[in-house]
Amino acid sequence: MRTLLALTIFGGGIASAAVTPALRIGDVVPDLPLIIVVLLALRRGPEFGCVGGFVTGLLQDAASGGLMGVQALTKSVIGFAIGALGGRLTVTQPLVQVPGLVLLSIAEGLARFAILQLFRFPAPFGELLTYVVLPQALYNGFLGAALVLALTWAESFRAPAS
Amino acid sequence: MRNRRLVLLGAAILVCLVLLTVQSRGHGSRAADGLALVTTPIQTVFAKVHRSAFGVWATYQDWKGVRAENRRLREEVERLRVEGLRVSETTEENRRLRELLELRERLPLATLPGEVIAREWGGWVRSLTVNRGRGDQVTRLTAVISPDGLIGRVVDVRPGASIVQVLTDPASTVGAHVVRTRTQGIVEGDARGTMRLKFMARDGAAIEVGDVVVTSGLGGQFPRGIPVGRVRAIDNRGSALFHYAVLTPAVDFSRIDEVLLVTGETSDDVAALFRTREGR
Repeated sequence: MRTLLALTIFGGGIASAAVTPALRIGDVVPDLPLIIVVLLALRRGPEFGCVGGFVTGLLQDAASGGLMGVQALTKSVIGFAIGALGGRLTVTQPLVQVPGLVLLSIAEGLARFAILQLFRFPAPFGELLTYVVLPQALYNGFLGAALVLALTWAESFRAPAS
Repeated sequence: MRNRRLVLLGAAILVCLVLLTVQSRGHGSRAADGLALVTTPIQTVFAKVHRSAFGVWATYQDWKGVRAENRRLREEVERLRVEGLRVSETTEENRRLRELLELRERLPLATLPGEVIAREWGGWVRSLTVNRGRGDQVTRLTAVISPDGLIGRVVDVRPGASIVQVLTDPASTVGAHVVRTRTQGIVEGDARGTMRLKFMARDGAAIEVGDVVVTSGLGGQFPRGIPVGRVRAIDNRGSALFHYAVLTPAVDFSRIDEVLLVTGETSDDVAALFRTREGR
């Protein structure tokens, strides 16, 4: 599990760094680490989600130059929650995946905003929500659903062989 | 198991809160420095990957842009080429019409300008259709000329159009003479699309290649002196009564677009009013 976690975090980071510029639409960039944390938490459980979310969030904080710990906190909580609830969620349908990821992204954005407010960092709520959180949440939703479909499709090829 | 998970989550939250608190109280630099020891090498790797990926992406975007620009420029070149052809076509038409107008003004007889609207080039018949007909008072056997010389004669007049038999038509005959030697003869067309001057052997001994042949004016059909062609070769038939000179037409019949129909009459020699085409 530790090797897989390290590989996931490092590989995910590299993939995120490499792929993100290509996925940029206007000013909207998807939160790939969040999508990866959610997808892995669904498959691997709350511990994986929590640790994965914490490390990727911390790396994102370090890379962004903002307050360290904000994204680590939100992503570890989200990773844990999704991992814990994973068994009870029906996430194989795109109709669930897209709104689910959109809502999760909005929740993560709101949580990040709340933490920033708590630690007295100025952040305009309306503008953040309109221009950053909502567009990114929508993008995350569709991208996440596409990733799930791609994974399902890939697994359908692998299944007969095994 | 459940407790372990909760402890893990609590630890993560605690670490984050400690980090945030330390930073918000102004002591964040040490914590940040400590974390930077771990994150900086990773960030460096990520930055390199990002830069190279972004470089590849930027190159791809440039390539796409260059392709689009290339396509746009090709279309532009194509459009300009068509435009250029149209302009040169108009310029050429303008030049031809100016020459025709100048000839019309110089000639001491009444003429009617016309435009070629069809060509019959089958071999059996070689003719042009001109957009002047009965309504323009065109009559049969009207001479048709261009700034280069004689084209032929009208053989059929219809409402709004006339059929012009060109000199290379196998049935065409025109009275002509060689300007330099004054040798009289008859210019005939033939099935190969060429024309020849038929002349009596005793009169034509001095004819040379390059001599200019013009209409003789005999018979009253054509004004005297209209260029017909230039001698290209001489067909010496020994003791035969008639010899032949193969002629290069003064007019390029395949490229003629505008003509003058000679509706008036004159007894003057009009040879000096035409240009003579060299090197044909």
